[in-house]
Amino acid sequence: MRDSQRIMTCMTPTFSRRKVGRLLGAAFTSCRCFHTELGGLESSALPIVHHSSYACELPAGHRFPMAKFPRLLHFLIKDQVITEKQVWVPEIASEALLSCVHTEEYLNNLMNGTINEQEQRRTGFPWSEGIVTRCRYETGGTVLAAEVALQRGLACSTAGGTHHAFPSYGSGFCLLNDLAVAAKYLMGISSPKRKVLIVDLDVHQGDGTAFIFKEEPCVFTFSVHCGKNFPLRKQQSDLDISVEDGMKDKEYLSTVEAHLPWLLETFGPDLVLYDAGVDPHGEDELGRLRLTDQGLYQRDLYVMKTAVSRGVPVAAVIGGGYSRDIDKLALRHSILHRAATQVWRECGM
Amino acid sequence: MAEMEETLDFNDILDDWFIESLKTYKDLHVYQLEHPTQVIEWTSGRTVCVAGYSSSKNEILELHLPLKLLADENKGLCAERDFKVVHGGFAEGPVCCLRHVPGTRCVVTNDGLSSDLQVWTVGGDDSDVIRRTGSVKGTRSVSAGGSRIAAPLSSQVLHGARSSDIQLTELTSGQSLYTLETDSAEPLSSLQFVSDAVFLAGGCNGDVYIADTRTSAAPQLCPGPASRGESVLWWTDASAGRVVRLSSSGRAVISDLRDLGEAVSAAQLDVQSRRCNLDDVRVSWAPALDDCIAVSGFSAAVQVYKTSVWSAERQDVRPLFEHRGHSVSSRSGDHVFATAHVWHPERPRTLLSAASDGSVHVWDWVDQSEL
Repeated sequence: MRDSQRIMTCMTPTFSRRKVGRLLGAAFTSCRCFHTELGGLESSALPIVHHSSYACELPAGHRFPMAKFPRLLHFLIKDQVITEKQVWVPEIASEALLSCVHTEEYLNNLMNGTINEQEQRRTGFPWSEGIVTRCRYETGGTVLAAEVALQRGLACSTAGGTHHAFPSYGSGFCLLNDLAVAAKYLMGISSPKRKVLIVDLDVHQGDGTAFIFKEEPCVFTFSVHCGKNFPLRKQQSDLDISVEDGMKDKEYLSTVEAHLPWLLETFGPDLVLYDAGVDPHGEDELGRLRLTDQGLYQRDLYVMKTAVSRGVPVAAVIGGGYSRDIDKLALRHSILHRAATQVWRECGM
Repeated sequence: MAEMEETLDFNDILDDWFIESLKTYKDLHVYQLEHPTQVIEWTSGRTVCVAGYSSSKNEILELHLPLKLLADENKGLCAERDFKVVHGGFAEGPVCCLRHVPGTRCVVTNDGLSSDLQVWTVGGDDSDVIRRTGSVKGTRSVSAGGSRIAAPLSSQVLHGARSSDIQLTELTSGQSLYTLETDSAEPLSSLQFVSDAVFLAGGCNGDVYIADTRTSAAPQLCPGPASRGESVLWWTDASAGRVVRLSSSGRAVISDLRDLGEAVSAAQLDVQSRRCNLDDVRVSWAPALDDCIAVSGFSAAVQVYKTSVWSAERQDVRPLFEHRGHSVSSRSGDHVFATAHVWHPERPRTLLSAASDGSVHVWDWVDQSEL
């Protein structure tokens, strides 16, 4: 960490619209200053983490809805849910940071483009420098959201939720596990370690995350997912709730309500990482549940409010969603940020 | 324990396939029948009939395609992603051939054992039953195989097991309107109308008869492609003035309907030749995709070939697309065979296929060359 920059954060801020949150090296786990230009310190509104590099070029006709990231920010600003002042810009996740979860061999292959054909197929992405870069920014964004949440109580990224990535390989459109990296990083290395609760409500099981933290008592993985959806080969989270096809708003919400409060009570996390995937929605192309916009909103509101009102900070990521209509999908993802704005208001943050 | 590991591995294979399918298909929906079918027949733009072929009692089902597939523009609005059984009934024996009579709610079946046909009515009067409402007598001669059936626009059905016993029968009255007179008694592998009154009968030796039901004139006979001493079976399909003939050794020949003696082009398909029965292999022209044929029955795969790139000399060709879903998603792997396939009448790249493990798939594949 460069001393001159460190001093800058503690001086009277110069005015600038954009905040740049720089990630600290893994060694500095207790320092709560991030390198940031103004804005962030000035704006008392809900922190939103976004980077233009969340999106990259994909081969023509590729199924992954990459355009949803910029469109999401576009709608949040256009609909006046947020202003640009609230946006925090993450740094790219360094190899050092990523290595707290991913193997050296995998990271080398990823950086050098030596991931083999079969592995590439399993990720759903043909390797490119661009795709690796965007995944690193996405991970950086989730880590920053977690850091900011610890300071401010609540923060949302406009990407994130890449829960199918394992330490040594990627899967299902996930190359790096952002939630795992954030949890590991924020957990810290010195005692007492922070406790992190990962609430994964994406319709697909958070198999990568479950695997990574299987033996880690300081991270609790909780996943609600549709049994029949990918992955069919399930891992074991600390708490898995596998639901049936076609589940609707009411029953789904009851399911979350049945577990979240007691988890917060008994596990007592210092931080909640919330994967608010919108693929439980009835119109999602891949998900097999039948939630509505209203159902997603109630869900997100409930999760964030329940944690925040107990004094537990929440960092939320958008998780998965699949639709050929990018605008509709982006609007669906924006439900999270609208709910977060509501929580921010209601909880007087 | 070993079983559980096997399941885990199998699930992993399915997961791999799922991710890959996101890239190779625009749509893919799977359904599992209790018993496999070797027939798939459109009964409307959105429904198909399937039926079992076991030696005893079999179900005949009318399935509605997943709404999510059909919804095109408003795909998002449809949560319904599964096939739905809308009508069902029972047949006393196997169903080897099933044809819908256009403009009606009737289907006609044959059990592959005799040349008689069974007539069924699908639903009606708020009923969800497919019930037997009649029969059509085939010729009295005992035949080794069952009848092929072709159904033209009106309530008449053309049927026959061999080239010597093809008849056109009025469904309601059972009256025979036409009989084909030929010298040979070649078992038929295909029978179809190429216009309102002209039909093509494909013998399993590759011979093709073309006849007109309005006249009693002798049919035109076009002998099959010369096979060098191999004992092969041939299947035929005609569409838009072209005829494709496919042998059980994977040899394909394309001719013009008006000049069947000449081969316009030929190819050696990328299939494993196998000992086949007459009902195993299907070949069909795409109704809405220029010059494409689909082939099934040599393995669990369904292949699509673009014939316009074939030359006059028979060369090895690779498929434009191969649907591998039936082998991937079956635990028996190697022992599964695709039993039937049909093209969607309007959607250029949508097909339905069925396999010996009871799976039924509807798929809309992505033409990689167009990306």
